[in-house]
Amino acid sequence: MKVLFAVLAMASLPLAAQKETPPPGGPPKPFHLPKTEDFSLPNGMKVTIVPFGIVPRTAIRAFVEAGGVNEAANEVWLSRLTGLLMKEGTTSRSGEQLAQEAAGMGGQLEIDARAEETIAGGIVLSEFAPRFIGLLADALRNPSFPESQLARLKADLGRELAIAKTQPGDLARERFFQVLFPDNPYGRQFPSEDDLKSYTVEKVRMFYRDNFGAARTHLYIAGKLEGDLHGAIQTAFGDWPRGPEPKNISAEMTKARSLSVIDRPGSAQSTLYIGLPVASPVSPDYVKLDVMNALLGGSFASRITSNIREQKGYTYSPRSQIGTHKHLAWWVETADVTTSVTGPSLKEIFYEVDRMRKDPPSEQELQGIQNYLAGLFVLRNTISPDALIGQLRFVDSQGLDRSFLSSYVTKVTAVKPADVQRVAESYIMPGKMTIVVVGDKAKIANQLEPYETVVQ
Amino acid sequence: MKALTKTLLLSLLAAAILAGLLQGDPPAASKFTVPVTYYKLPNGLRVVLSPDSTAPTVVVAVYYRIGFRVEPKDRTGFAHLFEHMMFQGSQNMGKMAFVRLVQENGGILNGSTRFDFTNYFELLPSSKLETALWAEADRMKGLAITQENLTNQQGVVGNEVKVNVLNRPYGGFPWLWMPQYANTNWYNSHNFYGDLKDIEAAKLQEVQTFFKTYYAPNNAALSVVGDFEPDAAKAMIAKYFGGIPASKLLPAPDLSEPRQEKEIRASRTDSHANRPALAIGYHMPARNTPEYYAMGLLDQMLAQGDDSLLSQELVKKRGFTGSVSGGINVDLGDMFDYSGPMLWTAYLTHDASTKPDDILNAIDGVMSGLQAKPVDRDLLARNLVKMRSYLYDSMTQFGGFGRANLLSCFALFDDNPARINSLEANFRSVTPELIQSTAREYLRRTNRTVLMVEPGAVKASAAGKGAAQ
Repeated sequence: MKVLFAVLAMASLPLAAQKETPPPGGPPKPFHLPKTEDFSLPNGMKVTIVPFGIVPRTAIRAFVEAGGVNEAANEVWLSRLTGLLMKEGTTSRSGEQLAQEAAGMGGQLEIDARAEETIAGGIVLSEFAPRFIGLLADALRNPSFPESQLARLKADLGRELAIAKTQPGDLARERFFQVLFPDNPYGRQFPSEDDLKSYTVEKVRMFYRDNFGAARTHLYIAGKLEGDLHGAIQTAFGDWPRGPEPKNISAEMTKARSLSVIDRPGSAQSTLYIGLPVASPVSPDYVKLDVMNALLGGSFASRITSNIREQKGYTYSPRSQIGTHKHLAWWVETADVTTSVTGPSLKEIFYEVDRMRKDPPSEQELQGIQNYLAGLFVLRNTISPDALIGQLRFVDSQGLDRSFLSSYVTKVTAVKPADVQRVAESYIMPGKMTIVVVGDKAKIANQLEPYETVVQ
Repeated sequence: MKALTKTLLLSLLAAAILAGLLQGDPPAASKFTVPVTYYKLPNGLRVVLSPDSTAPTVVVAVYYRIGFRVEPKDRTGFAHLFEHMMFQGSQNMGKMAFVRLVQENGGILNGSTRFDFTNYFELLPSSKLETALWAEADRMKGLAITQENLTNQQGVVGNEVKVNVLNRPYGGFPWLWMPQYANTNWYNSHNFYGDLKDIEAAKLQEVQTFFKTYYAPNNAALSVVGDFEPDAAKAMIAKYFGGIPASKLLPAPDLSEPRQEKEIRASRTDSHANRPALAIGYHMPARNTPEYYAMGLLDQMLAQGDDSLLSQELVKKRGFTGSVSGGINVDLGDMFDYSGPMLWTAYLTHDASTKPDDILNAIDGVMSGLQAKPVDRDLLARNLVKMRSYLYDSMTQFGGFGRANLLSCFALFDDNPARINSLEANFRSVTPELIQSTAREYLRRTNRTVLMVEPGAVKASAAGKGAAQ
């Protein structure tokens, strides 16, 4: 009865209230992706340069295939420590000099290690772009890895680790990926305190030697293009040794129903992670999944959000998304829900999943979400130079052709209602989902009972 | 606005001095000017147009001059709860219809509540400008919401407070908590996210009254930024917004804060936290004065970037923390999007083995350096470059929304959105001597509030505001 009421209310309110129709506006203007210039240096380093915008700022980011996936089981965050230590100085510049020089160009040298790569670079005023390329190359090529800074950086990471363990979202994420990627670097979000303490400059040097070099690097430059960028790139990176070759990483993902409950006494909310592996970006089903996800939980007006937020008020920020690593993808719904409605929230999420699996969406609902994704595609490529770099990097890191981007809207528009239902049915299987709940166990144990047993 | 003439003169002097001192590397002149067309409709609506054909998209932003400072005293969090109600239905749009309309036209939308305004904006294909203008005008005309909508959003907002404050460590630290200790005037010092019981007690009639009081064209600014024809946009704006009647606005309440004469120290116990945290907050100079621009540069020097003085001292030299964060209007905006008393704040987490007084002594050392003599010219020049980069970023970020934010605020607060193009000159006019005198008056210890977060179980008596020392 509850559910029926919700659906009726949603359908009837606009009808009852609608008096004037919104002006439809015109068809969206054609959007063409900015043309990139792509080339490789003889040492194997790839370069992409793309003009963006009219403001004199330029984003310069080197993506080096050196990240969490390159760590052994007892080396989690060694890639992060390496990145932090790289900012502490080169053979010719102190850490303070690196920071001051970058600031004097209107930017900051940022070096962040992620699961699959280390992203090094920054955004500077365009007039300084050639100089910043030189600074970036110095940091990447000539790190001094000063022993004197190691203890401090390890203490900082230790503090960050301790604080992360008090955050419900971090606890849920850690468990979700542990279950989804068993015995795999992708499944290791946090190091143990003891492992972290064991890291030495020698270990950092080895990690650097094994993973950094021209062959593993792709430099992206986006912004207002000023000065001799090509000359700067050649001078800064032309004689960087080729270094280690890129490494192929493979991972088995868990596709089995499980429920993990992490007790966090006194929690005002339960933090939910519910998901499973789906087709990767190289699959023809990926774009169909993208459309399905936007309808199911990936947009403000999506079904799950309409239900548990706008009808029931159980939560503030529910969302579903498709996450990716290279040739891997998973669908996940996340939400922080009031403790007393933990069970009812799960019930409604699964209700919406089931409904999506059972019936194709109406043409009208599908058309709406196709328009949304087409518009979002333009925004993703135009809201900032880093957003544009993100789009290009996604395609390149998956080994896809750049036509993935230029044909994306056409592919979205071609999706039929039956496709949406089919990919939901084939991939979004409740009986195969990893469920993680972080909350006050004493208050939610009863509510979770129905989810402990798998109903196919 | 008195300060402007003086600033202009100083600007010429400073530019000459800087150019002479930095051999071969003078600060480049601004190469980017924002087009600004500004006018008012007869009903008082302030309209700002700023075309930019970088992308085939457009930003429509409506800013109402009502923020969380000014809300009913027995209804903390009401301005923000009300913001949610603006998505719950208007004359021609049912619940969720606004959200669907924007999404189905390929756009995104949001709203937010800040100290001195509440904003609503869409970023969508430029061919849908008219659709967005119609929809914003529709909800400016009036709300059509039910008790059921209100009850629903009370649940949503309650969950928002839980996820952002109550169910996490350092939830209101320092953005929500610091103003409560540093300020004395209720408007500046109440819990503006709202006590859950106040949020739950709100009545439908109060929502309607709040709308009638503050949501009128003569209390709002509309900015359009992006790929559009100004004449066509003007015609649409006149058509959809022109007929909305103005209302009689209430006199502005007294928001002023007295000069702080004594350091305040406060601590809160946080049951979710396992590491202590420390924040310092200093009252800002009044907006748009020379000292205000000097504080903007002091913020860059002290707390923005790895090269900043506090980062170098507290992170690199002393190893007290992994990073220092900070800013003016911290975590809720920046130095440009407020109008009223404000704090400059810096904060960090640390280990229990580090004594707060050791951190404060190190901070005092940095402040003393700035107060003792005029700042080094290279340091000032570097921070001008940082500021210039920040300004350019603000003028373009998020598909032009950043520019709409500045233009709307300057229209609402200063009746002068074109000042977006004179900000850089205002910063250039800051001299090393002005940095010194500003640091002496505004970064003095007696103008400071220290807020400490201590891990541990919350005692029943201290659950509210925490014990002031």
